[in-house]
Amino acid sequence: MSNTGATVDERIKETSKLRKALIRPELGAIVGTVAVFAFFIVFAGDSGMFNPQGVLNWSTVSAQFMIIAVGACMLMIAGEFDLSVGSMIGFAGMSIAIISVTLGWPVWVAILLTFALCIAIGALNGIIVVRTGLPSFIVTLAFLFILRGFTIFFPQLIERRTIIGGISEAAAGDWLAPLFGGKVGGAFFVWLGDLGVIEVFSRGTRAGQPVVDGIPMLIIWALGLVIVAHIILTRTQFGNWIFAAGGDAQAARYVGVPVNRVKIQMFMFTAFCACVFATCQVIEFGSAGADRGLLKEFEAIIAVVIGGALLTGGYGSVVGAALGALIFGVVQQGLFFAGVESSLFRVFLGVILLFAVILNTYIRRIITGER
Amino acid sequence: MTTEPIIQMRDIAKHFGPVIALNGVSFDIRPGECHCLLGDNGAGKSTFIKTMAGVHKPTSGEILFGGQQMHFDSPRDAMEAGIATVYQDLAMIPLMSVTRNFWMGREPIRKVGPFKFMDFKTANDVTMAEMRKMGINLRSPDQAVGTLSGGERQTVAIARAVHFGAKVLILDEPTSALGVRQTANVLSTIDRVRKTGIGIVFITHNVRHAMAVGDRFTVLNRGKTLGTAARGEITPEALQDLMAGGQEMAALEGSLGGTV
Amino acid sequence: MKKVMKTLTVAAVAATAMVSANAAMAEGERYILVSHAPDSDSWWNTIKNGLALGGEQMGVSVEYRNPPTGDLADMARIIEQAAASAPDGIITTLADFDVLSGPIRNAVDSGIEVIIINSGTPEQAREVGALMYVGQPEYDAGFAAGQRAAGDGVSSFLCVNHYIAQPASTERCQGFADGLGVELGNQMIDSGQDPSEIQNRVMAYLNANPDTDAVLTLGPTSADPTIMALDQMGLAGDIYFGTFDLGGDIVQAIRDGVIEWGIDQQPFLQAYLPVVVLTNYHRFGVLPGNNINSGPGFVTADALDLVADLAGEYR
Repeated sequence: MSNTGATVDERIKETSKLRKALIRPELGAIVGTVAVFAFFIVFAGDSGMFNPQGVLNWSTVSAQFMIIAVGACMLMIAGEFDLSVGSMIGFAGMSIAIISVTLGWPVWVAILLTFALCIAIGALNGIIVVRTGLPSFIVTLAFLFILRGFTIFFPQLIERRTIIGGISEAAAGDWLAPLFGGKVGGAFFVWLGDLGVIEVFSRGTRAGQPVVDGIPMLIIWALGLVIVAHIILTRTQFGNWIFAAGGDAQAARYVGVPVNRVKIQMFMFTAFCACVFATCQVIEFGSAGADRGLLKEFEAIIAVVIGGALLTGGYGSVVGAALGALIFGVVQQGLFFAGVESSLFRVFLGVILLFAVILNTYIRRIITGER
Repeated sequence: MTTEPIIQMRDIAKHFGPVIALNGVSFDIRPGECHCLLGDNGAGKSTFIKTMAGVHKPTSGEILFGGQQMHFDSPRDAMEAGIATVYQDLAMIPLMSVTRNFWMGREPIRKVGPFKFMDFKTANDVTMAEMRKMGINLRSPDQAVGTLSGGERQTVAIARAVHFGAKVLILDEPTSALGVRQTANVLSTIDRVRKTGIGIVFITHNVRHAMAVGDRFTVLNRGKTLGTAARGEITPEALQDLMAGGQEMAALEGSLGGTV
Repeated sequence: MKKVMKTLTVAAVAATAMVSANAAMAEGERYILVSHAPDSDSWWNTIKNGLALGGEQMGVSVEYRNPPTGDLADMARIIEQAAASAPDGIITTLADFDVLSGPIRNAVDSGIEVIIINSGTPEQAREVGALMYVGQPEYDAGFAAGQRAAGDGVSSFLCVNHYIAQPASTERCQGFADGLGVELGNQMIDSGQDPSEIQNRVMAYLNANPDTDAVLTLGPTSADPTIMALDQMGLAGDIYFGTFDLGGDIVQAIRDGVIEWGIDQQPFLQAYLPVVVLTNYHRFGVLPGNNINSGPGFVTADALDLVADLAGEYR
């Protein structure tokens, strides 16, 4: 920390490298991921958790968390929360169902309209937060209830029930739906099945076909979003603005960063992610329910925090959040394979969350030089 | 000092509703000088520099920039015109790296096909070079600003302003929160910057810090300028008295209601 | 903890039993029961107990899984996961055919025997390739209850729906309305799951619609607060009150004359019988020729003692 010019010595440089490696925001999540996998390989290694079906199962669940965690992560780095994510998932799914099944419009129209609607609601969230200066916690909490209420009200009003099915039939032959509900690599898995690498169905109409018949688009979306968001955050001007908006909005404004615009766009991105989640779910399962996405906002925030982001904003990593989502998914599904009573999942989750937050606080102290 | 002033502010008044924050302030700044703005807390220093930096619009009075009348609609306008402000607390974001802070709002762009990326190589190189010019050797441009000392943070902010072509640099109490040695570093940075021909507005209420680098001194009290003196025309004691010029007033107020 | 201890004891007992049992018998069958109920729903405790008892008596290992928030999409993942762990059989509810039929069919096609319980219809169970359906057809049960109430002179009612997202809940109310021969209309309210909210909403509805003849609740979650609401309004014993499912407070209210009848779908059987059926099917290849209706059985103030003793545990 000397500013006496050339006298900076080499030793400081060396420790700095070590420290630099240590203070990555993803560190906690990387350690956690390794620990979690080690744990389950030991305790659930032969339970089917690591056979193709098992892997697909926890990867799909993790990918779901990842999609919403990416949005929540970017928003949290920009210094805001969105508690309406879970309700947005239910709302978006219901919107697609009502437009495509009840109104009978093409599914691609339903999907595009729903994306537009969700992103607009995200923007509204953001505009209210930046205009009023209210904590996003409160504003989005309001939307948590508003959206959930509509999600129950509209289908009841229109169809007298709270689950609308029949989307699979409506989506048959649609050009956009497979982008969310389809699977890729089918031929590859058939080949693996023929080789006997993965199991095949032993009976029914699909006897002889592999039990895993492709990688769901959900996983492709998750990976795509993680990569794009990571590049935007770490490699672009806009990414720098996101950090700045969350780190210190006033300081960022003084140097000309359009903080309000950045925050509103992050709210819109979060809504977009929730909508991707909902669309994948609705197209895959063929129905929308009023209770979809309950508590998902907290699961997203937990994944982001496990991934090393600070609740106070300005610091975090998309890769970390993705690993946080992976930990979340693997623990949730893995405890089952390990034969642990399912109610203990919450205990594990709480413990992991606590450790993650403590570790992150420690890391931030190192970064900011607080002691 | 016969050069034309870069900025001239004449008879600036600023009212916030019924509150008169500024009531006729005149001030100018020439290239290569350090013009100290002194005043006690509540004298209107902050309001005045925010007016100069485009944050507030004056209620009346005029701002001449390079001899022409100017209206700043936002801090961005003032910045484009070459007026950079380094605020005491808001200069830097501690969790971000020096490079990210340095380029915040004006990131260098590298195009790859249709995509625009931030050019980190250029950004890092320039940051290191500019900081070296200011006498600070960073361990690494990735170092978080939070690990720097208060004086170093001010220096990063100053280096940033200088690099982006500031003609006038407004420093809001840059030394008030610093220790002796860090203060000395910041003052020497001010001296260095002044020599490059940039006009510096140095806001402080510490007469000794002002005397150390100031070329001219303007004292602000209760929203008005009490006058401007050049270096050598005034002693530190006289300056202190001028700043305390309100002291008779203060004594009066004290006897009336103890509001001081 | 109690359950863990119990499971351990059960396992130990089962293990000893197996050693002395016929060696030709296949051992260690593993069955997983997947429900759609959120953690907060206490009614499913009976299912858990029935499942554990079935496992204990048959000498097989059993597991209970549910989506913590009751999100059916999560339940689909749990079924997929259960299938991936290659058990001998899966016992599951079919709360939403669209969501769950895919994962269930995949499980069936990969050689796992499935029995549908509780929710869904016998037709849907056949369609996904399940062995059989054990449960109470919800609409029919509601319809029967409605006819019974009509015979008792009821012509308007309030349906307190605490699980509005579950289509079966709405079917119960719809069946009741049709049994009465009236329109459901606005007589069904979404009460939420919180006891004091349910209580307040019931009071609000009855204050706004004082000429309501009857109250129908869909389980202990909505019945218990409704009992308190009626107490508070002085309507207990006065208004005609029927409920689906049983629980400790419901049984007491039936005894006190507050509740006319409870429709017992006998959840114990829904968990216990599938374990017995599956085990015997796996060991001896025998299978009952039809679906099993576990309910409806109307429980009234007569012959309540056994129910009262075991309410919430096995009844």
